[in-house]
Amino acid sequence: MVIALLVIVCVVAGLLFFAGGTLGLLRFPDFYSRLHPAGKLDTMGALMVLLGLGLHQLFPLTLDSVLTGLKLMLILVFIFLASPTATHAIMDAGFRAGLEPWKKGDPRR
Amino acid sequence: MKALGLIIVALVGAILVYATIDFPPFGDPESPASLHVSPRYLEKTLEETAVPNAVTSVLADYRSFDTMFETTVIFCAGVACFLLLRVPRRRPPAPRQFRHRLTGLTFRIKDGGEFVLPVREFEPVDSIWTPYDLIIETICRYLIPFIQIFGLYVIAHGHYSPGGGFQGGVILGASIILLSVSHNLRTALKRMGEKTSALFSPLGVLIYTGTGVLCLVLGYNFLDYQALAALLPGGPIMARSHGIFLVEVGVGMAVMGTMVWIFKNLASRGRYDEGL
Repeated sequence: MVIALLVIVCVVAGLLFFAGGTLGLLRFPDFYSRLHPAGKLDTMGALMVLLGLGLHQLFPLTLDSVLTGLKLMLILVFIFLASPTATHAIMDAGFRAGLEPWKKGDPRR
Repeated sequence: MKALGLIIVALVGAILVYATIDFPPFGDPESPASLHVSPRYLEKTLEETAVPNAVTSVLADYRSFDTMFETTVIFCAGVACFLLLRVPRRRPPAPRQFRHRLTGLTFRIKDGGEFVLPVREFEPVDSIWTPYDLIIETICRYLIPFIQIFGLYVIAHGHYSPGGGFQGGVILGASIILLSVSHNLRTALKRMGEKTSALFSPLGVLIYTGTGVLCLVLGYNFLDYQALAALLPGGPIMARSHGIFLVEVGVGMAVMGTMVWIFKNLASRGRYDEGL
């Protein structure tokens, strides 16, 4: 019961993060600021959802469920490595290409 | 000319739309496609080939002749890219500038001078050199082995889960392409040279057709993996499962080699001494 509640909280929080990330992607004014929600909130959303899923299948506690949980955590590790690196790479490419950051008062791009 | 193209496109589109009227309704159990062979494959695949994943058994066993030529098509695409793009390597002049990896300082060797410093700490700055980023380089260096292991897993696990030679080969090829994108073309060429990638694709096709010919030599039909029971343990049904695996390895090698080959030709415009 407690576990189910925890799972619901985790997954709903994850979905909230995803929703916020999508909203930021749509609403922010330029390339660099749009990458911010895309990189950060998606990682956090994936963390919460995967944590929830890992908790959900952990009980009853058997070797199989522990191994599945470990695999889910492994996915998390890779998302944590790959997602910020990809954001950094895109940001770096924009910077090297000479794109000026947006300043207050500029039109949306 | 533009109007003519538009008319042709509209005409062909109208014919296609007209043709779809004759299609059976979506998901119709009475449609010809789901009446004859599909139920048989779905029901018999486990007892005939010991492969739980019906997609793999249809792809690589029941319809393996088709898949063999799909692999050949991939090989042909690689060869076509090579023939269209590859130009003879210009002999590049010996690099005169060297960059110290740690400090980022660039040194220029004077005419007639010779480079005597430890090479590991310096890198030549020539047409192939691209600026790089420490974060991307490091993370990719740690991730690529895992990506490759996952690619091998996808190839080997096609019997039980979604996967197989095509998908695994793409993952393996993408790992080499990631190396090239995150470091530079020279590093990727050092790990998997032009000849290696160009050899991998025909070798994969050869493994596929070789398995077929082996079955022929052992007295069965072409690509009838039951024949392999004479060479492999486990009887004729397991032999079909093993035969599927052999064929998938061939497909994976062909796809990986071709992807890397095409990427290198495209990224460096066929020169291999500039570009990414």
